[in-house]
Amino acid sequence: MSATATERELTMTLDGEAVGFRAGETIYQVAQRTKKSIPTLCYDERLEAFGACRLCVVEVDGVKAPVASCTTKATAGMVVRTDSPIIEKYRKTLLELVVSENREVDVSPLRGFASQEFTTLVDRYGARTGRFKGRQSGTSNKTDDNPFILRDYDLCISCYRCVRVCAEQEGDYAITMMNRGFGTQITTEFNGRLKDSACTFCGQCVQTCPTGALADKKALRAADLPGEIAKTRTICPYCGVGCSVDLLTKGDRLIGVQPAMDGPANQGALCIKGQFAFDFVQHDDRLKKPLVRQPDGSFKETEWDEALDLAAAGFRRSLKEHGRRSIYGIASGRAPHEAAYSMQKFIRAGFGTHYIDNCSRA
Amino acid sequence: MSAHAAPSTADLVARWRDEPAPLLPLLHALHDRDGFLSEDALRAVSQALRIPLADLFGTVTFYHHFSREPGGLNKPRICTGNVCCLHGGNELLAALKSQGATAMPCAGRCDEPVPVLRGHEQLVGTSATSLAAKPTPLPAPNPGGCEECIFESIREPGRATLEGYRRTGGYEALSKAVREMTPTQLLALVTESKLAGRGGAGFPTGVKWQAVADAPGQPKSIVCNADEGEPGCFKDRAIMDYDPHALLEGMALAGFATGAPRGFIYLRYEYPETFRILERAIAEAEKAGLLGVNILGGVFNFTIHLRRGAGAYICGEEGSLLNSLEGKHPFPRNKPPFPVTHGFENLPTAVNNVETLASVPPIVRKGAAWYRGLGRNAHAGTKLISLSGDIQHPGNYEVPIGLPLKTLLHDWAGGPQTGRTIQAVTMAGLSGGFLAGDALDCTLDEPSIRGKGSFLGAGGIIVFDDSRDMVAAAHAAMEFFAHESCGKCFPCRIGTQRLTERLNGEAGPSDLAAWTQEVRDIGTVMRATSACGLGMAAPFVTDSLLKFFPEQVDNYVVSKEPNNR
Amino acid sequence: MSNPLADMAKPDVIFCIGTNMTECHPVAATGLKKAMARGAKLIVADPRRIKLAELADVYLPIRVGSDVALLLAMAHVIEREGLMNRAFIEHRTAGWEDFRRNLKAFTPEWAAAICEVPAADIERAGLIYGRGRPAAIYYTLGITEHICGVDNVQSLCNLALMTGNLGVEGGGINPMRGQNNIQGCGDCGAETFVFPGSVKIDDVAARDKFANAYQRPDLDLGQAMTKVTGLQECGKSIHAMLIDGENTVVSDPDRNHCEHALKSLDHLVVIDIFMTETAKLAHVVLPATAWAETDGVACNTERRVQRLRAAVPPPGEAKPDWWIIAEIAKRLGIPGFDFQSPADVFNELCSLSPTYGGLDWERVSRESLNWPVPTKDHPGTPILHTEGFTNGRGRFMVLGYRDPAEVVDDAFPVWLTTGRRLQSYHTRTQTGRASGIDYLLSEESLEVNPADAEAWGFLDGDWAIVTSRRGEVKIKVRSTDRSPRGTVFASFSFADVPVNNLTGSGYDPTTHTAELKVCAVRIERAPVTLESAHDPREPENAHAR
Repeated sequence: MSATATERELTMTLDGEAVGFRAGETIYQVAQRTKKSIPTLCYDERLEAFGACRLCVVEVDGVKAPVASCTTKATAGMVVRTDSPIIEKYRKTLLELVVSENREVDVSPLRGFASQEFTTLVDRYGARTGRFKGRQSGTSNKTDDNPFILRDYDLCISCYRCVRVCAEQEGDYAITMMNRGFGTQITTEFNGRLKDSACTFCGQCVQTCPTGALADKKALRAADLPGEIAKTRTICPYCGVGCSVDLLTKGDRLIGVQPAMDGPANQGALCIKGQFAFDFVQHDDRLKKPLVRQPDGSFKETEWDEALDLAAAGFRRSLKEHGRRSIYGIASGRAPHEAAYSMQKFIRAGFGTHYIDNCSRA
Repeated sequence: MSAHAAPSTADLVARWRDEPAPLLPLLHALHDRDGFLSEDALRAVSQALRIPLADLFGTVTFYHHFSREPGGLNKPRICTGNVCCLHGGNELLAALKSQGATAMPCAGRCDEPVPVLRGHEQLVGTSATSLAAKPTPLPAPNPGGCEECIFESIREPGRATLEGYRRTGGYEALSKAVREMTPTQLLALVTESKLAGRGGAGFPTGVKWQAVADAPGQPKSIVCNADEGEPGCFKDRAIMDYDPHALLEGMALAGFATGAPRGFIYLRYEYPETFRILERAIAEAEKAGLLGVNILGGVFNFTIHLRRGAGAYICGEEGSLLNSLEGKHPFPRNKPPFPVTHGFENLPTAVNNVETLASVPPIVRKGAAWYRGLGRNAHAGTKLISLSGDIQHPGNYEVPIGLPLKTLLHDWAGGPQTGRTIQAVTMAGLSGGFLAGDALDCTLDEPSIRGKGSFLGAGGIIVFDDSRDMVAAAHAAMEFFAHESCGKCFPCRIGTQRLTERLNGEAGPSDLAAWTQEVRDIGTVMRATSACGLGMAAPFVTDSLLKFFPEQVDNYVVSKEPNNR
Repeated sequence: MSNPLADMAKPDVIFCIGTNMTECHPVAATGLKKAMARGAKLIVADPRRIKLAELADVYLPIRVGSDVALLLAMAHVIEREGLMNRAFIEHRTAGWEDFRRNLKAFTPEWAAAICEVPAADIERAGLIYGRGRPAAIYYTLGITEHICGVDNVQSLCNLALMTGNLGVEGGGINPMRGQNNIQGCGDCGAETFVFPGSVKIDDVAARDKFANAYQRPDLDLGQAMTKVTGLQECGKSIHAMLIDGENTVVSDPDRNHCEHALKSLDHLVVIDIFMTETAKLAHVVLPATAWAETDGVACNTERRVQRLRAAVPPPGEAKPDWWIIAEIAKRLGIPGFDFQSPADVFNELCSLSPTYGGLDWERVSRESLNWPVPTKDHPGTPILHTEGFTNGRGRFMVLGYRDPAEVVDDAFPVWLTTGRRLQSYHTRTQTGRASGIDYLLSEESLEVNPADAEAWGFLDGDWAIVTSRRGEVKIKVRSTDRSPRGTVFASFSFADVPVNNLTGSGYDPTTHTAELKVCAVRIERAPVTLESAHDPREPENAHAR
């Protein structure tokens, strides 16, 4: 029996429509592919399905209770309803319950990539009813003085995405759940500071948090800055892995970085440098004008024309006095292709030598 | 032993590191040595077993009885479960406060309240001065004169020793199986007997064993669920304390039938004396060649490892139990896959209750038809019922399945205390909620009790007489579920908390209609969407409260008056 | 890398040597951790007990610079146990018999004496790697920054060749590049040995092609000069230099020598975004646009060519590097610098590079592909060598072991090895200016084994003077089990602790890569002076300007 023959046989019924699926796919994955919008708060497609929030429950013919679509594999001939009135009622009740355990629902999108997921669902289901009042879960950690990650657990809904992303994606196993039940508290070993734990400040927990309970402290500095948040896709400037990132800007200000969840090299992962060490770009120390050295050894700011003329003149003089083998170029492993290409062309086209190298030997 | 210096951490690590399921015993060894789990101890365990420190820390904090404070092990922990509440548990807790006493959920001594854990001992008593270590109450001779399966020989003196056990037919079944039967024949016999899971789920044992036997992958395991955590249940304790070899023999038979070479007993923390009894029994059986390699001189090998929980009701749920055994965070597992194919260490595993396993040796000795015939009205076999609360003769009873509830309550157990009437009983410990009024006219079998809107489950029945406030009883029950909710799934984690708050006046509408709507909505979503049985069952408490005691609810919500009569 | 990053989660066996991946390539390390969660085995060889060592099934704390001995002995074990992939050897390689004969002497016991690790562990590592199907090798500068860097890499190739772990998914030999576009820098030909597209400069056809394209008929055929030689020639044959964005003074070995070299130039032009220690020596400093301000292209360590996009305007009058270089070129009358945009520059590169032939600005803006991409409809090449090697058969190289350029002796009795730390990058021109980083790492320290610290009379935080044959630095001592006895570690990130004053004992004779990873030093207590009470971040080294 060929694999393709098997695949052709695999169909199920989703809200009255026949859909095909691959062996091993969950109901949720099939629904995602067919553009069904099943709500969820604990799901991150990079992680193993966990089945905590139960928002993704669906009705399956022949099964008494609804099943969590994220943890239930599709089977041939299965008949599934994703949005019956009863199911939608369950979802609304669940969301009302979750709203009741939190300090607030609306948070700044600067908190993190997924920080608006909860708000969006609450609004979609009209779940701000004020029902189910009672004690709140999770306690914000006000003693952790780290400059990167806000631990605002008053907003935590115990979806465990942070715990799982730290273990499954980052492999650091720094985050854990202390106690149990309604007393569950997301924390680190011995309930201490992140700095004293296995945390490497990669920020993945921040970016997967659906309520903003874990938040990007550096980006939040720009919360009050006027202007819309814009995102620009680029590549991280640090090591050679080449992680895709979205730069967050407001007007001319670079205010933060978020990992690209679909980045081919990183799939949403970053490290402390890529995530948090972006603000060298708009640092006051940046060179803003060309500088030329004075006879006394100090530097003087000057205009481009003069600086470029002086730069060229030095090379021309060397060429004249010492010949074409007197000039050397060192390119940067940090600058883009256009810089490196221009550098080598400058040497090869300008002087006919191969006196060009880069920092890879250092 | 006490003359020697305490073992070093390195010694303890070396003792356990290469054993199967090493985390719990290693943690207990350190906890017992130091009286608490220190940061240093956890760091050593993390390194030795290669468990990330954060994971280990989180897992340790999950269990009620692992203390992280120096001296914690030796501070008294007082049972304030539903039954002990009726017998002065809270007052005893107050009396021992000065010794650093804390409350603990039902510790399975409802037939002789109030249990207190201190150090490595369980004491019993209702006042600070009367606390004493006492053996588990022995089941009374069957008051109905019914033929028994499990308790048949339990009252024989010395039955807990290998010699005593063998004197009364012990290990004959294993001997017969190993020498005269094939695994297939044994599987067929168990299937024919219609024995079903006695931990509450009622899944046919033969079918489960067959699935394990058929599943690919080795080594397979037999895991005995001895985490008898359901409040009002204490039957497994009686079996293990007075008839431990019956359990061991049942496990060995399960191993023979399924091809599993190893077994684990996951015993609840609150039974320290039972732990010692089982340890002795396993050692005796190993020495006699009844466990280990080449059992009874044949080719069958079966080793039993005894493991101890640390205080978590959810570990009675088989997925949680397996995670706990493996040293993982004890959240339930998503099903499928089921343990029969993906159990302990992802290999085929039969998880069976103590009572189920202990039923097997008599079935093998006397035959499937004999066992089936023990029940009434076409029901097969017997069920142990743990009866407690407001009743003349609390204790464990082995009843023919199908026995009328009222026969048990009034004829066997002497009825309520003089001058009182029975207001309500719980079913399935607390998980089945309350039955009252006409619903008490049922028989002790699943179809009958499910017909009344509840279920028999593990067979714990707590009696409340007409002096009791049923809202308070419901609150105590829901508080237990909230305390024991693992926190993985949203409906249970938040729902048990909100229901508890609504049953003690801490939060919730003061308008009766709004109050009722909230309680019903929470119950509905918990039952429909919870990830495991805990969250699905907890709303039985509130639903049955609203069904049978609307006037008490009305009085509580509207007048804020206790229902004390 | 011969294989893509996505392959990192796929091997059965991972062999990491000379790479502190969890700190230097943290995101790549996540793939490795996923493989391990799946049950893959990990072998780690590194002098320091780094985080990877904690995760390893076999950890080999080899003496610095003894890699070749270890790798030869592993090959010996694989050969002795018959774990080779005979079909691969027969069809895809050359030189096996010579290599095999040479292996006989290199027993684990022989290597154990050199590497200072138990022979049994070497044996185990050989067995595990030899049985891995597939087994992947990852390495970084811990392999290349030695005088025997080429031998190290070749030894790794030998292992992969004899087990057939090249050209297969989840296998390969994978150097992890340390900078965001160091791979691209080479791709563009900004490397003395190659033209754009990694074509050798002694290739006549390529020489002619570029001579023609660049209107430079006298373009040299061959005649490379590495940066190392270039710096040595400063003030002798080299008199003018253009440096684009490299803080040579801090990152290169033997800082004193390097500073002296640059100072002896008649003309030094530096293009950079900050006034670095190197820029301070220039005659003209030209302000460049930074990352996040520059449109362009970069290539990562897995040969994936990706678009960089500007999101904010540059400060003041800073300009893109390509524009600055073009402006200087135009003033010198060099033809072919009439670029109007980065797209013009990149498209010219693609037109001249065989590996980028199928790429152009528009395409890289749309998709990211692993080169080679020879044609417009080519889907890219995630795994190299699947069908064959560029030069026909994979050749086994017969090698022997050599000591590092410098070995410890009575005068300099301690090994120093250098590297990076997670929270800082290179010379900290960037991370040093990112807020919050100081919270985790505010100063450099010398990592010393606790037993050594005790023997040498140091408490944590005490100042030490570390001296090599080339210079000295003052640095605070921190005891840690990460350092083995007799070996100390420091990063080169902090300008106030110029560790590269000490390094630079030698160079690989083929690539001229500096032996930054190992040198011999002596460690003494720093005299207690007013100076040592200063803020450690204030430059205080005698050689700093």
